Amino acid sequence: MATTTAAVTLTSDLLSDNMSVSASTTCMKAGTTADGLDMMEYGYVDIASGTAYDIIGNTPTANKATKLYIKNHSTDETYYISIVLDAQAVGRLYGGDWMFIPTDFHDANADVEITATGGTNKICYALFHEGTTLVAS
Amino acid sequence: MATTATISISSDIAPGFGGISETMTLTQAGTLTDIDSTTGFAIRKLSAASVVDLVTMANELVEPKDSVAAKIYIRNIGYKGVIDKSVHVLIGVKSEPIGRLYGGDWMMMPLTCIDADDVTATPETADTVVLEYVLFYEEA
Repeated sequence: MATTTAAVTLTSDLLSDNMSVSASTTCMKAGTTADGLDMMEYGYVDIASGTAYDIIGNTPTANKATKLYIKNHSTDETYYISIVLDAQAVGRLYGGDWMFIPTDFHDANADVEITATGGTNKICYALFHEGTTLVAS
Repeated sequence: MATTATISISSDIAPGFGGISETMTLTQAGTLTDIDSTTGFAIRKLSAASVVDLVTMANELVEPKDSVAAKIYIRNIGYKGVIDKSVHVLIGVKSEPIGRLYGGDWMMMPLTCIDADDVTATPETADTVVLEYVLFYEEA
């Protein structure tokens, strides 16, 4: 079985006592307890400001346990990318920010769309999934 | 100390993939100033296969600023120590499904914090499941 593990450590001093949370998960295929995600796409792209792009070219199979990591590697903290799924604005990743989310690509419009602002943003992404429909040449 | 989040991903899917290890300091939009507000850490027990608001933006006691640098962490921690990795809770924003958090899975996602953009959760089954979550945001 392929094994993909994602761990996070979150700390904050915004509360009266320091908060520290750690979690780790092994990314399994949808509905299984013994079969891990076994395909991935990993990339690093420059995104010029102003135009919306789909970050994932070949849409994975819908309604699975797909996981998506995106980091904005821009060093200018005023640069950001806007994340939109199926016309729903989700949020922004400023320079240095990352996200890790499940994505279910539930229909043909449910692509992960990003739009850069401020200048050319440098984006790293990794998609862990269990199948995709490749585009015939 | 500020608010920081570190992710580590390891995988043997692709030969040569060296993994990912990155840390971010949560800051206010477009600045190096630390983010200044949080809902605090919370848990929500769900026992029906129907959609609920995990975060109702319009009900936050301290109004979040819209469309800036907010982030939310959510984890499916199962129930009473039992984590079923074969059953999920569908997380959404407004009416848009984002993805499925299976037992033990966690997510860190940016948010607009616009009043209409509530964070929703829909368990796959009526079996009790608990989500833990914390929202970091800028005060309006």
